Amino acid sequence: MTTLNTTLEESRLDETFAALANSTRRAILARLASGEATVNELAAPFDLTLPAISKHIKVLERAGLVSRSRRAQSRPCTIDATPLADVAGWTDQYRHIWDDRFDRMDDYVRTLQPTDTDTANDKEATHD
Amino acid sequence: MTDTKSVRIERTFDAPIDLIWAMWTEPEHFANWYGPMGATIPKADMDVRVGGARHIAMEMETPGGSMQMYFVGEYVEVDPTTRLVYTEHMADADGNVMTAEQVGMPEGAPTETSVIVELESLGDRTAMTLTHVGVPADSPGAQGWTMAIDKLDARLASLRS
Repeated sequence: MTTLNTTLEESRLDETFAALANSTRRAILARLASGEATVNELAAPFDLTLPAISKHIKVLERAGLVSRSRRAQSRPCTIDATPLADVAGWTDQYRHIWDDRFDRMDDYVRTLQPTDTDTANDKEATHD
Repeated sequence: MTDTKSVRIERTFDAPIDLIWAMWTEPEHFANWYGPMGATIPKADMDVRVGGARHIAMEMETPGGSMQMYFVGEYVEVDPTTRLVYTEHMADADGNVMTAEQVGMPEGAPTETSVIVELESLGDRTAMTLTHVGVPADSPGAQGWTMAIDKLDARLASLRS
């Protein structure tokens, strides 16, 4: 049960990440974060054809990030942030960033310190 | 989802405590390690004393061009060389704290967190405990959103570098 849930969760995360790994789609989401919009409205800021924009929206829909209303012919899009909350639980997000930073701090402090080689050699010399 | 969440990380560094303290409190050192994947720190103003201000600029290369992010905050506790506590908010280039909406995020996304650094000397080595406390957002969904975008931009930047 846990394994199945984990697998489902993983594949959903993959889909969310894939959907977000595109600057046009992120821009679409950013626009939708301030309210629903039609495909035409979403296409306006981009130098892209309507079919191209529709394709991006379909990817976002499949990832569960966007839903489209059926109540109007224009079928306005709305954002659903739930998958994003799963992708980046606050703690996971920051743990990753800090771990990465501390790896760099570790490398950096090593470059600042005199290598032990000289002192080690001296010690060995006195032993001899 | 509305309780305060925190991240706690423990690390031991092969360096004396004075040097690790300097990593956090001296801008030229801080800038060398702080930026996440692919980011640089073009500005790090740090007035390290209780009530002193900090103002950090972060620059990332994204597919859409270079993106600047700014963070401001205040030092809450400064006990050289063992304990440092500061707050962090998202800000504009002039250091004015920004609301979630101003940075293009949904209303209610968090803009303030607290960072607690505790150091313990182990002779030539130093044990560090970092606790990053997030202030709860009104909207948990919105919270993940902010972070996801940051994470992806950073990820992409690192893939392209």
